[in-house]
Amino acid sequence: MHLRIDDIAKAWSGHTVLDGVSFHARENEFVCLLGPSGCGKTTLLRIVAGLTAADAGRVILGDRDITALPARERRMGLVFQAYSLFPDMTAAANVGYPMRLRRDPPARIAARCSELLERVGLGGLGARFPDELSGGQQQRVALARALATEPAMLLLDEPLSALDPAIRGQLRTEIRQLQRALGIPTIMVTHDQEEALAMADTIVCMNHGRIEQAGSPRDLYERPRSRFVAEFVGRANLLPTAFVRDALPGFLERRPPGSESTYELCLRPEDVAIESNPRGEAVVEDSVFLGNLARITIAWRGRKLLVEQSGRSVLNRGESVAVDALRGVWVCA
Amino acid sequence: MGVRVKRVNAVGILLLAVPLLCLLVFFLHPLATVLLRSITDAHGAFTPTNYLRLFDDPGLPRAAWHSLVIGLATTLCTVSLGLCLAMALHRSRLPGKALIRGALLLPMLAPSLVLALGLVCLLGRNGLVHRLTGLPTDIYGFWGLLIANTLYGLPQVVIIVSAALVRTPARHYDAAASMGASPWRQFIDVTIPRVRFALLAAAFLVFTETLTDFGSAVVIGGNYRVLAVEIYGEVVGQQDFAMGATLGVVLLAPALLSVWLARLAKRRQDTGDANPGRSFVPAAHPWRDMTLGGIALATLLPMVGVVATVAYVSVVKLWPYDRTLTLANYMGGMPDGYGPVATSIGMATMAACAGVLLVFALSAGLRRTPSFVAKPVQFIASLPSAVPGLVLGLGYVLAFNHGPLSGWLYGSVAIVAACSLYHYHAQAFLTMQTGMRQVPQALDDAVATSGGTALHVLRDAVWPFAAPAAISTFFYLFMRAMVTLSGVIFLVTPELGLASVTVMRLDENGFLAQAAAYAMCVVLASALALGAMRLLLHVLKDRRHVA
Repeated sequence: MHLRIDDIAKAWSGHTVLDGVSFHARENEFVCLLGPSGCGKTTLLRIVAGLTAADAGRVILGDRDITALPARERRMGLVFQAYSLFPDMTAAANVGYPMRLRRDPPARIAARCSELLERVGLGGLGARFPDELSGGQQQRVALARALATEPAMLLLDEPLSALDPAIRGQLRTEIRQLQRALGIPTIMVTHDQEEALAMADTIVCMNHGRIEQAGSPRDLYERPRSRFVAEFVGRANLLPTAFVRDALPGFLERRPPGSESTYELCLRPEDVAIESNPRGEAVVEDSVFLGNLARITIAWRGRKLLVEQSGRSVLNRGESVAVDALRGVWVCA
Repeated sequence: MGVRVKRVNAVGILLLAVPLLCLLVFFLHPLATVLLRSITDAHGAFTPTNYLRLFDDPGLPRAAWHSLVIGLATTLCTVSLGLCLAMALHRSRLPGKALIRGALLLPMLAPSLVLALGLVCLLGRNGLVHRLTGLPTDIYGFWGLLIANTLYGLPQVVIIVSAALVRTPARHYDAAASMGASPWRQFIDVTIPRVRFALLAAAFLVFTETLTDFGSAVVIGGNYRVLAVEIYGEVVGQQDFAMGATLGVVLLAPALLSVWLARLAKRRQDTGDANPGRSFVPAAHPWRDMTLGGIALATLLPMVGVVATVAYVSVVKLWPYDRTLTLANYMGGMPDGYGPVATSIGMATMAACAGVLLVFALSAGLRRTPSFVAKPVQFIASLPSAVPGLVLGLGYVLAFNHGPLSGWLYGSVAIVAACSLYHYHAQAFLTMQTGMRQVPQALDDAVATSGGTALHVLRDAVWPFAAPAAISTFFYLFMRAMVTLSGVIFLVTPELGLASVTVMRLDENGFLAQAAAYAMCVVLASALALGAMRLLLHVLKDRRHVA
């Protein structure tokens, strides 16, 4: 079942939250809505879920226009950031809730609950109450509950944001594996670009209620189309045309035609090669040792650039280095 | 091309409509009737004569002045003493805090006039002190009224100020101490700024209540007549409803102003830090503890003593002459038997049941309404706190004793229950709303996306969080209805007696021992209700896993 969002618009008390947003999610695809706070991603998810009504536009699931359908009839599984488990029901009762609402036979409910809890790694913990479970375990229960009715789509609203970093990584992998195994199309909202890069088949990068760019993680990282995407997904050095003309003239030929200020060159930190050279043009300003890599700030022709070197760097503060760029892409400023 | 989805929440509308209708019929309607009566003459034509007549009798402006003075004086006393008591509970190392809390419960278990009754029995011209020591004590008048009102208002002030004190994070005191601030300095710089709006809110509340208090004024006011007593006189004595209504409106004005100011103060109150952190442990400070302890003793001994006196009087043969102990007053000595007590309990139960359902429906219905609907509704729902009980009671008489519903409502327990309910509607509504606000939004959405309707939301998402609030609201309404006097004084009939009114009547006629017996019945019923509420809340907390 694939999902199509058509020109959705939404405003809260005069303030535009979503401005003509369109994209589609294919069968089995894991889509991440990525963006900073206030970009409209959660509102969009809620519109897909049916919890909020759009002012304009359509939501189409398969070949059905579900725009006017209320949330409870959409058959979508939703996992929230926190506090969505019923506090005085056990984990198993929570998972079985949607099925009880549909009046499925109790035997089937019990069987499916244990099956699902097993699947999310909580086998045997069905009798515990939410306040007896850790944050990560609670989210697993929420996930199991969302999957209980074999939904057409899975919607995740920043499910990992409230968890400890250590748990986050683990749960991230598990969610992705589960999604692949079940083949459910999934939309996840997050502001963490690392999460998006790690989990998504397609990233929809949003800002101020609009989609800046949609594509695979590699697409967005290697070929960002705007300054916003370049800076939001990964780190970037953004160099104006005049600077490129002076320092890296080789990149000019690939610059799209347009006025001086329309485009900037985006250099990823790992694509800037530096080498110790007493006659080099740049000077190392700072070097941060991060174990497997080093982040080095250099001053070059009046600009500061961020460089990443893997392995253990031997460059020191104040050293002169020669600079070259391996790859760069022009983005809209 | 988009589709604008209009979600008509039928359940939500129904939930709102019924309580609103009841508010309209049983609160706004009587209130409007009083207002109308004050500006019309016997034939229904508009006239300002009633207000002009206020100045004909010199006693009336004087009574208004008296009301103001006693209101201000009581407020001053309760707020300062209340602050000391709250500090004693939360900022001292005094032992026996449970005793302080227990003593503060007493005034809430009885009608205000019971405190006055106890004072009279203790310090009146024929009181216990006079009988035992021969001292010429006379407690009637301004001072007696002041003491009675202060004792009655203290518990509320302590509750409000305590809440503010508890909310102050310990780290503010730690920071001040680390910068060299003495305990007194810490009090001025850390404590006072955080409690000042609580003090203001409490002050306005006590002022409103004292201004409109009727029971104490009747029992112990003596020649110090206040407006509330004048209203009663006009309505019951002179049968001059127009005059009563006019005086009621006069009383309404400062009450409305006061409640509005209290709300402003409460809004500006610090809502507490998001992470209160470690709770505050007071440092050792003998002088502070001794002072606070002394004040607590000086305040609470009279409180306990007064109630104990009433208990004593109720088991005495013929007060104050023959003080042999006997249970005769409880067994057959009561003029109407236990009828009034039973009626009061029945009426209070009715008010509490109807009240909790209506208030729950109202709060639930308001959850998803846009603010242009929610704000006016909340205003109307909270308005009763500004309306004196006497005014509301008078409104009920004017509105329901004649007209199409009168045959059915007049003289019924239901109408008395309705009056009690709507008199205390504001606080009940506030309690319920606070409980409902704790429901996480995500839970609502979880029910919706799991396939639940609005009713499922109420049952599975709202109820677990609202249950404690519902229990508190039920017992609050029950206890208030048991002890209310001013609201119902105009609604009792020869067939329909209430315990609080009976206490007043017996006191008026000098049968103090029997009055005390009825009073103790009310105290007992209220105490049992309080105990039941605490037990239920405790059991609920244990069984449920709601934080």
